[in-house]
Amino acid sequence: MNVENPDKKIQLQKDLFQPVDKRASQSEKISRPSLNFWQDAWLRLKGNKGAIVGLILITIITFMAIFGPSMNKYTYKQQNISHAKLPPKIAALENVDWLPFDGKDKDGFDMYEAKNVKEYYWFGTDDLGRDLWTRTWYGTRISIYIGVLAAVIDFLIGIAYGGVSGFYGGRVDNVMQRIIEILMGIPHLIVVILFILVFEPGIFSITMAMVITGWVNMARIVRGQFLKLKTQEFVLASRTLGASGSRLIWKHLMPNVMGPIIVTTMFTIPSAIFTEAFLSFIGLGIRPPEASLGSLVNDGFKSLQMYPHMLIIPSVIISLLILSFNLLADGLRDALDPKMRK
Amino acid sequence: MKKLLDVQNLHVSFDTHAGEVKAVRGVNFHLDKGETLAIVGESGSGKSVTTKALMRLIPNPPGRIKEGKMLFEGRDLVKISEKEMEKLRGKDISMIFQDPMTSLNPTMTVGKQVMEPLIKHQKMNKEAARKRAVELLALVGLPNPEARIKQYPHQFSGGQRQRVVIAIALACNPKILIADEPTTALDVTIQAQILELMKELQKKIETSIIFITHDLGVVANVADRVAVMYGGQIVETGTVDEIFYDPRHPYTWGLLSSMPSLDTDEETELQAIPGTPPDLLNPPKGDAFALRSNYALKIDLEQEPPVYQVSPTHFVKSWLLHPDAPAFEPPVNVQQNLRPMPNNFDKPALFEEVR
Amino acid sequence: MANFILKRLVYMFITLLIIATITFFLMKLLPGSPLTNQEKLSPAQQQLILDKYGLNDPLPVQYVNYMTNLFKGDLGLSFQYDNRPVTKMIGERIGPSAYLGFQAVLFGTIVGIVLGILAALKQNSVMDYAATTIAVLGISIPSFVFAGLLQYYLAVKYPIFPVAAWEGFEYTVLPTIALSVFVIATVARYMRSELLEVLSSDYIMLARAKGVSSAAIMVKHALRNALIPIITLLGPLAVNIMTGSLVIERIFGIPGIGEQFVRSIMTNDFTVIMGITLFYSVLFIFIVFIVDILYGVIDPRIRLSGGKK
Repeated sequence: MNVENPDKKIQLQKDLFQPVDKRASQSEKISRPSLNFWQDAWLRLKGNKGAIVGLILITIITFMAIFGPSMNKYTYKQQNISHAKLPPKIAALENVDWLPFDGKDKDGFDMYEAKNVKEYYWFGTDDLGRDLWTRTWYGTRISIYIGVLAAVIDFLIGIAYGGVSGFYGGRVDNVMQRIIEILMGIPHLIVVILFILVFEPGIFSITMAMVITGWVNMARIVRGQFLKLKTQEFVLASRTLGASGSRLIWKHLMPNVMGPIIVTTMFTIPSAIFTEAFLSFIGLGIRPPEASLGSLVNDGFKSLQMYPHMLIIPSVIISLLILSFNLLADGLRDALDPKMRK
Repeated sequence: MKKLLDVQNLHVSFDTHAGEVKAVRGVNFHLDKGETLAIVGESGSGKSVTTKALMRLIPNPPGRIKEGKMLFEGRDLVKISEKEMEKLRGKDISMIFQDPMTSLNPTMTVGKQVMEPLIKHQKMNKEAARKRAVELLALVGLPNPEARIKQYPHQFSGGQRQRVVIAIALACNPKILIADEPTTALDVTIQAQILELMKELQKKIETSIIFITHDLGVVANVADRVAVMYGGQIVETGTVDEIFYDPRHPYTWGLLSSMPSLDTDEETELQAIPGTPPDLLNPPKGDAFALRSNYALKIDLEQEPPVYQVSPTHFVKSWLLHPDAPAFEPPVNVQQNLRPMPNNFDKPALFEEVR
Repeated sequence: MANFILKRLVYMFITLLIIATITFFLMKLLPGSPLTNQEKLSPAQQQLILDKYGLNDPLPVQYVNYMTNLFKGDLGLSFQYDNRPVTKMIGERIGPSAYLGFQAVLFGTIVGIVLGILAALKQNSVMDYAATTIAVLGISIPSFVFAGLLQYYLAVKYPIFPVAAWEGFEYTVLPTIALSVFVIATVARYMRSELLEVLSSDYIMLARAKGVSSAAIMVKHALRNALIPIITLLGPLAVNIMTGSLVIERIFGIPGIGEQFVRSIMTNDFTVIMGITLFYSVLFIFIVFIVDILYGVIDPRIRLSGGKK
């Protein structure tokens, strides 16, 4: 231990020992800028590499889905049997050996030369000679459209049902909960399949089929949040001050439920895209000449052995699409509601 | 008296993505055999971190002991291996946590959890350990221990669980018992019971206790000596009497005058300490408490204060004890309780320079 | 507990009744008839067949007949496969599906748990990033896409495994992997976050404060508590395996129930679709039920408080 050491005692100027004239405000000064919930969430989201990668990928894929089909002269249903089953060929990349864009098939045979084709098909063509570049991005467009539409409808029904159930509670809630419990007991995909069997496959029927089971999840989350928030002091306080039901819902409950709702919606999109692809794959999806990523993968399987490009390109894009939505949703969950993690 | 534990210049930091949080910044204290040392301070003052560091229970990463010594019976706990530390934990030094509701494993019977340290440290076989566990549970005042050791934690009330945690902590007659706010999460009546139990058991097994709390009432009840922590540093230590009847640091004044007592009359206002604890990511220059203190000097904003010694047992880290400092009157409700301390020096002596 | 089980059984029964009813009426709404694909038959012959199956009776009569038969365990006869009983068809095809399903769940759960533990043990290490990446990819890549890529690269391009058929263990490798990616991903992710949560809990801190060694803490305290919630994943995973089997069995030519289901959908084989739908529903409901009971048995908190959650 240190021993007293008076000669080391520093000489300090006397005027330093004057009281500081200070105000309480100084100590109450907040050193960090104040952020509202969304600014804070955005900061957290920005710090999440996965989410940012997801966001960038979604932006790129969506851009391509919108503009990709019009980047060349072909349409998604234009057939040209003499140009059937051509491998991908891209002008600038055709001389790069390791890239599969040289117009040669898997045995290294130049199909473009053999069939005397002058045009370049960037992603190749399918068995009817349709341009796969156009079809792939067109299909992506349909897949995203179905995913977002299903998520939006789920969102609306789920909030309405869950909100009513959670807000009113009591007997109303009881009955509504029993209905949900039974719906939860039914395997979703079975219902979806049966639904599509009855109503001819198309964008609308596929979306509706997914919504029929999908909203339940959202409704449960909204209800749970409402029940939890309803009993919290700030809501009780507002109630005692005479706030009306709609004011309670829109000013107090909704803003606080938004986090979990957005996260759930973000997870609905990739799962709807997946379900659509799955249905297409078992022959219940979009009918040709329309295309979706799922139906393209399905077509690709038929010529897997000879023309793998027909399978691989849509496979990669659908995987990237679902992956990027999942990454973004994961990031949003961490940013908006860390407690939802798991 | 021989020092059982001597902590010197302890620094603990946490590496977060925002930077290094200096949670404990050069803490010195010691513990004698059989005594109870209370460490008081508000949340975030570093009291819990200090004791977790003693047990080497700071999760690493992000936390680490940056500097300092923790001499236990002459051995430096900072330096010994994890294996050796395991042998000490629960045997020589054990710990009670704040929240009994979460500090027991929910899927293991209470008996097994009490038996664990017995089997590990005292090499008992299962049968002997079970017998001892029953004795221990009886010792901490759990009725019907024979039956209860087969039960799971959720079948116990909060107070009962804390008794179980105490039984676990005392299983191997530790030399030091660290109690990290053991009564904060309990009802007031249960608090009193648990405190009584701890005092009684301390006499029986002659253990030393480090008692962390922010409740000065509890301090007056259990402690022999008190260390007041603020902003990761100990700002004042002394015997209970010295801290309560002759406090010297403005933060201690603040703590005392924010505490009501029976003689506080209606006229006296309880003084809250303004502001919030310092940001330990960027600890303020000089005296960490200066910004919140009504007694701050210019030098407080410039230079860290040294430690002054008021009596053989009373140390204060504040510029107010410098001979050149103006004489301040402590707040009224502190003044009311001031008493002369027999051991005080004529005037405070500089004890230690800032390193 | 008994009360809880009884209540659940009643719910299960009601759910099944509803599913059977919905399935029945949806089938009646279907466009096309089972005879659409059999042009050889004259209208008179078709009528004869419809009479034979009772398809000319009024709807309520058909419904009552269907439900009565259902209680007897009779799912009707297939239109496409020489009038073979649907129950028998399911029975014949259950083997490969069950085998594959169990193998995939077992393999996926074990790999997932190991990955999750490795990731949680050293948070933010290379291992952690690898496991997290595998988990995100496994959840994102649709099983049939993964199966297609596996088949192309490991059977067609580099013929390490047979492309498709059902003739021995080597034929099960690729389908098992394809089916279990989702299981691996889900379990690994869940295990990692559960374990991290458990490891930072107070009771682990107390166990360390008792002097218990790190290895013993892991085995005796942490793993048990982290593994219990994994049981709740079994329900969703079983569903995933079921739906996955529809496509995987088709891709790898496995004579299972999923393959039959897809085939029946394409041929409008009503009774088989209904039969398999009900079979899947029963299976799903049963698994969820078992999982709930199992959870109650294993977790002492639920076990002793009488099935409350």
